[in-house]
Amino acid sequence: MRHADRAIDHRMRAGIVILVALLAASGCTVRLISGYDEATDRAVTALQKKTEAHLVALESADGLPECTHEHHRQFYDEAKVDVSAIAVRAAAIPKNEITTEQVMLLSGSLGALEQLHRIACLSKDQIAPLRTQLNSSFTAILKLELAKRRGG
Amino acid sequence: MALKASQLSRDILVAFKGVLSDRWPDIRDYGDVEAKKLAQTLVMIEALIVSGKINEEQARLHLDIQRNATRMVLLTLEGLGILAVEEAINAALAVVRDTINTSLGFDLI
Repeated sequence: MRHADRAIDHRMRAGIVILVALLAASGCTVRLISGYDEATDRAVTALQKKTEAHLVALESADGLPECTHEHHRQFYDEAKVDVSAIAVRAAAIPKNEITTEQVMLLSGSLGALEQLHRIACLSKDQIAPLRTQLNSSFTAILKLELAKRRGG
Repeated sequence: MALKASQLSRDILVAFKGVLSDRWPDIRDYGDVEAKKLAQTLVMIEALIVSGKINEEQARLHLDIQRNATRMVLLTLEGLGILAVEEAINAALAVVRDTINTSLGFDLI
């Protein structure tokens, strides 16, 4: 058994060396994920800022007549357009499937946020976890996008 | 100087491990921080449900957002892992190129 294990290990290592040698010989650099996209970075950052401004406004309006969804429709309408634009761009970039999926999830979350607001005004108690979740969502997209700069 | 597969494979593995061990702490720390935050928000949502401050429909929507955020963090971890593997592969390719060119005495690749 130990002799067989060594033989398998030797063959695997030889296989890796041959594969890597072939790749090196072709002069290629391997790229498994798309490169950094500044437009995506900027657009996601801008949407995060807009979303935070919306949550701050809701906290200020807690318990007041201006807390209703109707008073804040503009945010939801604009956010839908913004996230759609980000999604379209992300999907157009090759090897960008992870970011594309993340943007779709963000779109879902913003949709759920609007549904919550349609049901009732959002209290400070509700806004606290929402803020954390949405910021985690934005951070997730930006963290990966910035990492795509590769050495930057 | 003849290429030795055993030495080359060792050098390649060192390149792999070097990159992955450099990248892993950052990936792990990000995952830890986000996991703690999301655990806290889950506790907050539970408190809202238990206190009756939100109904079932509202709870479902809060949990949808929670699930999406968790999924997005996991996707980022996946992406960071893939980037680390990519960097490790390219580091190994650089080792092979350097070794071959040194062995030949000129830049073939």
